[in-house]
Amino acid sequence: MPHSLFISDLHLSTAHPHSTDLFLRFAADVAPKAEVLYILGDLFEYWAGDDDLGDPFHQRITGVLRGLEGRGTRIFIMHGNRDFLMAKELAAACHAKLLDDPVLLDLYGTPTLLSHGDALCTDDADYQRFRDLVRNRDWQTQFLSQPLTQRKAQIEQLRMQSESQKRSKEMALMDVNCDAVNDLLRQHHFPRLIHGHTHRPARHLHHLEGHTCERWVLGDWDSKANALRCDGSGISWETIPSP
Amino acid sequence: MNLKKLFTALLALLLCCAMQPSYSSTQGNKTMIKLHTNHGTITLQLDAEKAPLTVKNFLEYVNSGFFSNTIFHRVIPNFMIQGGGFEPGMKQKPTNAPVKNEAANGLKNDIYTIAMARTGDPHSATAQFFINTKNNGFLDYPGQDGWGYCVFGKVVEGQEVVDAIGKVKTGSSGFHQDVPKEDVVITSAEVVK
Repeated sequence: MPHSLFISDLHLSTAHPHSTDLFLRFAADVAPKAEVLYILGDLFEYWAGDDDLGDPFHQRITGVLRGLEGRGTRIFIMHGNRDFLMAKELAAACHAKLLDDPVLLDLYGTPTLLSHGDALCTDDADYQRFRDLVRNRDWQTQFLSQPLTQRKAQIEQLRMQSESQKRSKEMALMDVNCDAVNDLLRQHHFPRLIHGHTHRPARHLHHLEGHTCERWVLGDWDSKANALRCDGSGISWETIPSP
Repeated sequence: MNLKKLFTALLALLLCCAMQPSYSSTQGNKTMIKLHTNHGTITLQLDAEKAPLTVKNFLEYVNSGFFSNTIFHRVIPNFMIQGGGFEPGMKQKPTNAPVKNEAANGLKNDIYTIAMARTGDPHSATAQFFINTKNNGFLDYPGQDGWGYCVFGKVVEGQEVVDAIGKVKTGSSGFHQDVPKEDVVITSAEVVK
């Protein structure tokens, strides 16, 4: 049956061979059967700029996606909070198209809103300020004007800070804010919503003004492949074949 | 006299200790199996030290002749070849009771290793096994479900037979995918004496 697949939060890097293994298996066995693969942010652990495409690990991943496109699966990539610097060259290397966040699509007859999800974590004011900063074009231009090694060092430092902050932040702070979700659903006339970011895979229902909106949350790939499959009959979890 | 006795006793004890490792030496625990197939023979070395229950289980199937006329029914290129549970025509064979999952034994799902196939239940492995045709680290303990897939041996001869089986043409058969179009048959399995 014609279907699309959704993944996010793979955080691919050489430091996580397990997630990479899962992704390669997914790309070889599961994704080729789909019409479209949507990557809803944080494909990579971080992205220092498209001039890092030459890195052998990046070459490998982009090559896999290019191969998938060559076999007939269209690929769309959305920025995450880690790889927001992915730009045209990365997209071209993957034979993919970049998606805005959020974006409203008609998926097999059902209006569906796609988002990474970090913009919905409005309880975390510090993060939202950071998000506004790094999504600013001037900031990005200035950041990208620095040498690659310098950018990587800064990102590494930031990641360490973020890890230690995560431990001290309340769990609730790092989930989406329900009002922010409801507002977004209202703005887009009560669509179905698919997002990632929070690493809390689940299906939620939002009852709003007589509408019931499904909200599907994708999970990370730390221990298992985490994908959603969408076709004309709805959405379900997708697994990769095991022996 | 007493001292001599004590010395002898100590010497005996020392010798016992010295000999102990040879009883549990890895060599003694590595049974060899030949899987004869219509593509050639695959020789397996089993690791009963790392996977005692799994090897015991596998040997029971080998010794009872269970694997004769079973097929490699699932072949996914660049991943693994799986067999040992169906006869030609995708007829599933009744098995013994399942074996406990011993995947946390430190053995990795590297290329040319043999591991037990199973359902979603971690302790459901019976007769079906698979041979990895690539390093499949994501199958190692703890895997995707906290358990992973138990490696219990490796191919020591006939890797080219595994490669050949890994390249056969496949298609769907009933509810099964990745089934070889032409049967890949295990004609017999035997313990190498």
